[in-house]
Amino acid sequence: MVRISHLRKNFGDLEVLKDVSLDVAPRQVMVIIGPSGSGKSTLLRCVNHLEVPTGGEIYIEGELLNDSSLKFKAFEAHLNRIRCKVGMVFQQFNLFPHMTVLENVIEAPVHVLKQSSDQARSKARELLKKVGLAEKIDTYPAMLSGGQQQRVAIARSLAMEPAVMLFDEVTSALDPELVGDVLRVMEDLAHEGMTMMVVTHEMGFAEKVGDRVVFMADGYVVEDSKPEEMFGNPKHDRTRQFLSEILK
Amino acid sequence: MLKGALLTLQISVLSLLLGIFFGLAAALCKLGRNPLLRGIASFYIWLIRSTPLLVQLFIIYFGLPQLGIDLGPFLSGVLGLGLNVGAYNAETIRGGIVSIPVGQTEAARSLAMSNALAMRRIILPQALRIIIPPMGNNFIILIKDTSLVSTITLVELTLTAQRFIGSTYKPFEMYIMAAALYAVMTTTASLLLGKLEKRTNRGHR
Repeated sequence: MVRISHLRKNFGDLEVLKDVSLDVAPRQVMVIIGPSGSGKSTLLRCVNHLEVPTGGEIYIEGELLNDSSLKFKAFEAHLNRIRCKVGMVFQQFNLFPHMTVLENVIEAPVHVLKQSSDQARSKARELLKKVGLAEKIDTYPAMLSGGQQQRVAIARSLAMEPAVMLFDEVTSALDPELVGDVLRVMEDLAHEGMTMMVVTHEMGFAEKVGDRVVFMADGYVVEDSKPEEMFGNPKHDRTRQFLSEILK
Repeated sequence: MLKGALLTLQISVLSLLLGIFFGLAAALCKLGRNPLLRGIASFYIWLIRSTPLLVQLFIIYFGLPQLGIDLGPFLSGVLGLGLNVGAYNAETIRGGIVSIPVGQTEAARSLAMSNALAMRRIILPQALRIIIPPMGNNFIILIKDTSLVSTITLVELTLTAQRFIGSTYKPFEMYIMAAALYAVMTTTASLLLGKLEKRTNRGHR
């Protein structure tokens, strides 16, 4: 579904990703953990080309994402076609503040996928019901709690019917009591068979929902295993050190 | 006198529209990736802001005909004022656009929106809220600056007042009347802008 091959990313002189190769299978939930600065968010942002890789390749459903043979307009069209298949949810929600909840969700289906307004609306209502916000459709984002905003952001992303969803520390900006609702929505999504790449500090979620946990440090994948292995019997010192810090 | 005011109003509205067009075009060029367009936009903004409006009007009305471009007083006036307010708008619009958090663009792009679509649907509507108050200010100044086109023979409000003075010898009354009419126009404009400001505040507490 997603194939990352020898990915490198530099910000100026700083090497954030040094050589990362990962394969995400369909219906797999890959949870990526690691200390801050390990490159996990950058990795995720490369998967939908919000960051331009310095080297290596990324394939989405077998199609090369960072295809340097395409120029300007052709590349933008190619990129937008692939981005339709890759949903992303951000730490800071990034809802459109000038639109209601419903307008946020139908925006891309109507203007990118060219769905009819009615079609997009009924789909949006369904999705908002699913994330528990059916009664908030005409509310503006500023009137919602962080947890509610984040669930709208998930619905907005799902409205594009993506093949894979990227979650970039989506609960890190939330008050503790609001984290549960968002994680529950993500868990439901995982049970429905959505392919997911999840960068998070929620070890409970990683253990319970993850099919696979990837530990990253200093721009490399240090350890890649089943959750019970990762948390019960980590192989590398660096992993043990990180887990003991975070589970203190 | 009302006829003069009507011409002032016409000139104001037309140069306002032209000013929005030039301002938006220059702002987008300056934010864009094309170095040539960026250079042209920067040069335009610099040129207009570093010279007096009166001299700009004289160049267009008296200077250009020497090069075979004779626009006549009305077009010269509208073009001069439009170019002038456009340069000020450009910086206002650019400032509004860059003040929108980068996360908004990222969210739009992650939803497969093109750059142009993201600008039109997501960034500009939000930037408008920030742009409108200072741009409104530019327009109020524009209405008053239209009095300068009286120097290129346009019989707008100020020149109308002057002509009446020629026949009535009552400069005090005539200029007070002209001033009152300018005040009516600028005040109406401020009220309309206030309404627009409220509408663009949608979604904000």
